[in-house]
Amino acid sequence: MNSYPPELLSQLAPVMFVAGLDAPTSTSTPPAPPTPQSATHPHTPSSAPPTPSKSQDSFAQLASRLRDALQSQRKPTIWAPERTKTFHIILVDKAIRFPPRKLVPPEDPQFSNAHSPLSPLTPSSPLYPDGLIAPIWIRKHTALVPSVFVLFLRLFEVPPINPRSPLDPPDVEHERERGEEERRRDAELSAEIAQRKKSTNERGIKLTVVLLASRRMLDDPSLDGRLTFIRRQSGLDSRAALFVLSPVSSSELNDFVRSLQDALYEPALEYYTTHSKRVRRKRNRHSQAVSSYNPVHNPLAAPNIPRPLRPEGWTVRYEYKMACFAEFRGEDEVALKHYQDAYATLLIMFGSTAILPPRTKRWAEAKVLADTINVKISKLYLYNNEHALALSHHNSHMRRFADFSRGWGIGEETFEYWSWMARQHRVLAELLEQGSRTTLTFPTHLPVPRPASVGTPLELDAVRALGLNPSHALQHPGHYYYMAARCTEVRRERFLAGESMAQGAPAAPGYANEEKVDHLTIILELYTKSYELFKKYSSPASQGRLTLWIACRIAHTYYESGKFDMAVRFFERIAKTYRREKWGTMLRPLLGTWYACAQKLGDIDMTVKLLIEMIGYGDTDEPGTLQEDLLAVLRSSVPSKPDEPLMVDLKESEPLLDTTMLFWKSEVRVGEDAAFQLSLIAPTNTVISSLPIDSITVRFTEEYAPVIIQHTPASTQDRVRLVQVGRLEHEDEDMEIEADLRLKPGDRLIVSGTMSSEIPRLLKVSSVTIELKEGDWTIEVPQEPCAAREGSSLAPRWLSSLNPVNFLPMGRGDHSSLSIRHRPHELSVSFTHPEPALLDEEYPIMIEITNTDERELDIIVDVLLQPTEIDIAVQHIIFDGQQSSGLIKGIHFGVVAPGVTALKTLYLVSGGAPGDRTIDVSVQSSSTTNDPSRSRSTSPASPAGPLSRDVSETLQTLVIPTLSALEVVYDVGYRRALGKRAELADLLRYEEEGIDDGTGGDSEAVVTARVTCGGPWGLEIESLNLIRQEVGGAKVLECFSEEGDNNMFPGEYLPGDEFCDMFRVSIAPDEDQGLNGGVVPGPGKYEIIWRSRILPGGDRGPLTSTHFALPPLLPPRDELIALLSVPSTAKLHAPIPMELTIRNQHPSRSANIEVQLALDPLDGFVVAGLRSGHIPVLLPGGEEKLVWRLIPIECGYVRVPGIKVMDRRRSGAEQEAEGDLVKVVDVRLDWRRGTEDTRLVAEGAEAEGGASPAEQVGLGTVLVLP
Amino acid sequence: MPPPLRLNAVAFISPQNHPILIRTFQKGDELKYHYVAHTSLDVIEERISGDSKSTECYLGLLYAMDDVAAYGYITPLKVKIVIALALTDSVVRDAEVISAFKALHMAFYHAVSNPFLKLDAATNSGNDQYPYLLVGGSKWKSFRQRVDEISKALGNVTST
Repeated sequence: MNSYPPELLSQLAPVMFVAGLDAPTSTSTPPAPPTPQSATHPHTPSSAPPTPSKSQDSFAQLASRLRDALQSQRKPTIWAPERTKTFHIILVDKAIRFPPRKLVPPEDPQFSNAHSPLSPLTPSSPLYPDGLIAPIWIRKHTALVPSVFVLFLRLFEVPPINPRSPLDPPDVEHERERGEEERRRDAELSAEIAQRKKSTNERGIKLTVVLLASRRMLDDPSLDGRLTFIRRQSGLDSRAALFVLSPVSSSELNDFVRSLQDALYEPALEYYTTHSKRVRRKRNRHSQAVSSYNPVHNPLAAPNIPRPLRPEGWTVRYEYKMACFAEFRGEDEVALKHYQDAYATLLIMFGSTAILPPRTKRWAEAKVLADTINVKISKLYLYNNEHALALSHHNSHMRRFADFSRGWGIGEETFEYWSWMARQHRVLAELLEQGSRTTLTFPTHLPVPRPASVGTPLELDAVRALGLNPSHALQHPGHYYYMAARCTEVRRERFLAGESMAQGAPAAPGYANEEKVDHLTIILELYTKSYELFKKYSSPASQGRLTLWIACRIAHTYYESGKFDMAVRFFERIAKTYRREKWGTMLRPLLGTWYACAQKLGDIDMTVKLLIEMIGYGDTDEPGTLQEDLLAVLRSSVPSKPDEPLMVDLKESEPLLDTTMLFWKSEVRVGEDAAFQLSLIAPTNTVISSLPIDSITVRFTEEYAPVIIQHTPASTQDRVRLVQVGRLEHEDEDMEIEADLRLKPGDRLIVSGTMSSEIPRLLKVSSVTIELKEGDWTIEVPQEPCAAREGSSLAPRWLSSLNPVNFLPMGRGDHSSLSIRHRPHELSVSFTHPEPALLDEEYPIMIEITNTDERELDIIVDVLLQPTEIDIAVQHIIFDGQQSSGLIKGIHFGVVAPGVTALKTLYLVSGGAPGDRTIDVSVQSSSTTNDPSRSRSTSPASPAGPLSRDVSETLQTLVIPTLSALEVVYDVGYRRALGKRAELADLLRYEEEGIDDGTGGDSEAVVTARVTCGGPWGLEIESLNLIRQEVGGAKVLECFSEEGDNNMFPGEYLPGDEFCDMFRVSIAPDEDQGLNGGVVPGPGKYEIIWRSRILPGGDRGPLTSTHFALPPLLPPRDELIALLSVPSTAKLHAPIPMELTIRNQHPSRSANIEVQLALDPLDGFVVAGLRSGHIPVLLPGGEEKLVWRLIPIECGYVRVPGIKVMDRRRSGAEQEAEGDLVKVVDVRLDWRRGTEDTRLVAEGAEAEGGASPAEQVGLGTVLVLP
Repeated sequence: MPPPLRLNAVAFISPQNHPILIRTFQKGDELKYHYVAHTSLDVIEERISGDSKSTECYLGLLYAMDDVAAYGYITPLKVKIVIALALTDSVVRDAEVISAFKALHMAFYHAVSNPFLKLDAATNSGNDQYPYLLVGGSKWKSFRQRVDEISKALGNVTST
């Protein structure tokens, strides 16, 4: 931008002249209204009003503040898109004169025909006769002629006189004097203003006067009058022409300045509009006059007679002026339009060499004008965020002028062309950079997401949605600086080419200038700017590859300019990233230039390093040259430090030799040998066959001695060479072997051997170092252990035979490392237990662990009893004194010496239900021998992984089938109790022990318990006990097994053996149980104590007790029942009693019972007693007993006379005769199963309703004997 | 109707940012396109880091520099494809660029699914890049040929 006149580029703004705020050079002569006559400096001191020094100070301060405030309003810049009503304010002297409008004074009669001093028509003008427009014209409007003139003046104030006393009357004389003085001063002031007004009026400039007055004056009633007087006298406008300002604070001053500009903006616009109108008039007049005007100035005249400006030129001139005035007004669109018109016409002019002959002064001026108009147009587009239009204009400008340039003979082959191109790029870059500091933002060019539905009509964004023109995509200025630098590089190239061609010949025009140009400095500057901008605009996460690229260019430029040390510093940094990202193709030329730098710098070490790295990257173009270079360097020089070997670290770069390490197995045991092959393969894309490789050192992880392969020339050079190193052992001495290390491309050197370790660890090759020796040089080249160069694939292949050469492919991925593990512990674990287990017993499981290893092992056992899925099963294990239903952990078997067996017994107790029980046993062994890895594990370097701990674990699962040893089957029958029941009102009924004697129960249960011995083997049963338990409603009355010693126990019972017991229970369900469905819980349990007969070794097992609960009892319920009791036998003719007990067991109803004896003539009895009759109403729970006497009169089984018991109560009125039959039960035959749902009775399949009506008939007989 | 695309170079870059194949269709300018490919990575990374959830492969214009406009594409497996188009003063239709990218993606996909690529490689090798870097190697020609064909196909549009 600096290459263009700043006037042509900067943003124009209305110009305001401010006068009367002179700098305090005039402290001795304070600013005072000068007399109208003395319009020039210096003022006559005599006219200075005698202002007090204090107010003078405050006014000086005010003036200085005003100056600051005004000057800070706007700086002339190129990029100023905001349109606030801001003036470009210039402080001028009060007496400033404007440049003359025309050369002749207005009084001259020639005035109307004369032109402006800058017009091409004026012979003395720099533009005469055919100039377009000059920067001086813009300067005239930005610096010499304002649109608004603001004049600051002091209003005269009489110093206040301190009254001698407040009571004094006003000094009339003094007042009058003051008034006169004021009037005189005001008149002087007005005259001065009028003078200035005259000069501004001539040019249509608005004049505004600001009167500075003290605050006291503002309140003075005479102020208004004085102001009106001054305004009238001086001929000021009525609007916005006279202000009064008193000393105020800075912030208030800023407000004042703001409002001053607001008030004057309108007149300023008017001023520029007037100019525009005037120019437009001239343009219109001119364009009409073209036809007549043109032939007059026919360019047939002699060439040295300057031709006047052509009509196109005038158009450019007028359009440009109008554009400028529009820009002054802030009308960007109008300005853009006029600039475009001017630009278009300029292009027409450039199109013809007749109009603008190339390489003339006017041509050069016009080119500058075109360039700057282009910048202005681009800028105006950018203000509006029309990036594509801006770039499009800029690009087409460059393209057009590139085309023109070819016509002018300054095409691509000339440096002028590239210089101009660079300048264009740079101008754009600078414009963007300026813009980006304020309002300009750069788009990201992300692709527009595809519209989801295809059918949507394309709208305004359709063009963008289809794609964008990459050359119209605005990027950050770094790109354009970069372009400028590139162009400058070409410019330099062209210049150098031209220079070499023009040796001796007279230099072309411009060569002298070009010779002075320091191209490289410019290039560097441009690249550096670009670099900074790229850095600024790169995202923080970015790797900075773009900046590296620029840096690369910078480095090259440094190299070109001979600053090799700088270039080297850049190269070092750049190479780091390129190496890491394996971009060898970019690294190769970089290394080449770097190498050239190193050579220039004479840094031998660096040269050698770079050569070796370059050999690593390969030289495909001329194989072998690099190693020859290296050899030449090594032979012709000495190292800088002869004592130390030179380290050339190739760990990040490509290796000199491709290496692969192969282990035959991925895992071996401690002490076992592992075969390995290390292949060193010479690259095929470079030649290293004559590199002075002295030795190759292969280092392993852990403390293995390195293998050093020393070079020994061999007579035959096989393509594949095998070197056997035998067995590598830990901490041996260095293993040195010999081999021929001159490798042709593709040669393989295979080092084969075995390794072993006494410690578990991971073995790898940690580094491969190649040592070169030549003369005094010793160069060590460490490289990555298993590295293949870019592009070459090293399939892991195991050399299986050398003659013929044969390889086996290795399919493993981890072929380059070997893990060594402990041998597993040799333990034999056995479990002894006779299956199956029986319920309730402590079932012993013998765990026997034998150490069959050679090491002492510390053994710990964990046992887990798996939860069972069987219902109602309960189980637990007992082990080593601990009891758990789940896990028992850490049972220590102690340290078991080799060959020794450790034994422990685990007990399983399972109850509830038979089924399989599952037990997991984990045997953990750890070696207690003085383990080297243990002692080493304290050192931080050794890997503290599972590898180093010598622990192994054996897991076993036992499934133990469990059977029940004994099974019980209950058989329950019910009888109605005949015992005497307590009367209803008897208190005994309400006592707990109401059925203690067993007589009070409703019914009785007779239970037979049948115990079966299960299991595969016999049991010794010690005892059988019925344990009574207090249960409401039931009570065991007697039990068979308790009746004396029946020698059943102890006894041995074989599988399938059964034995029985029997007991009688009296049942009197209480009310709760009655509601509960009548179930009465079993009143106790059986306890059987037994032991398993066999154990291994013939021992008998411990006593085990098994409990069986008595069955729940569910007696059938009667409501109203008649129980008949007769003796079973009788003697003929001897009377027997027959009793009928009628019980009302209904919980709530009373019964009305009628009893009838149904005598039959065939009956074998004579009956004495009631034949038929009622018994008193039976309340619930009540009973009534009737007794007959029977005299048998026949022998044999004689039927008992029929008895009919009726419950009349229920039948009601209709069936008075009949009633419900009440069942008569012969108590001798009374045997019933439980109620229908007696599912709880063991084997209750035959449970049947005991009260079938057939029983009615089934009254028993009596055996009558003679 | 904008002129057809002029493909100057194609670059395939592995997910670890190592070059797989850089194919230049202009003689003598290979290095420049290596730089274009490498520097494009910066812009690509910036674009994908901003919106990690985006499934859009096409990344659009990366930048324009010298006489080249670089366009980017990233496959779902993070292989990056960069093409360098000759910078002409005309609209480049995204649809055309995308179809070119898709063709290139398919070419890569076909080439890399060649089972013989892994013939020499250790099976279950931890090195994911293995077939990627190999496919651009000099040993396997089909990938190059495919890329060249795509370039020709784009160029053929010019002649019709």
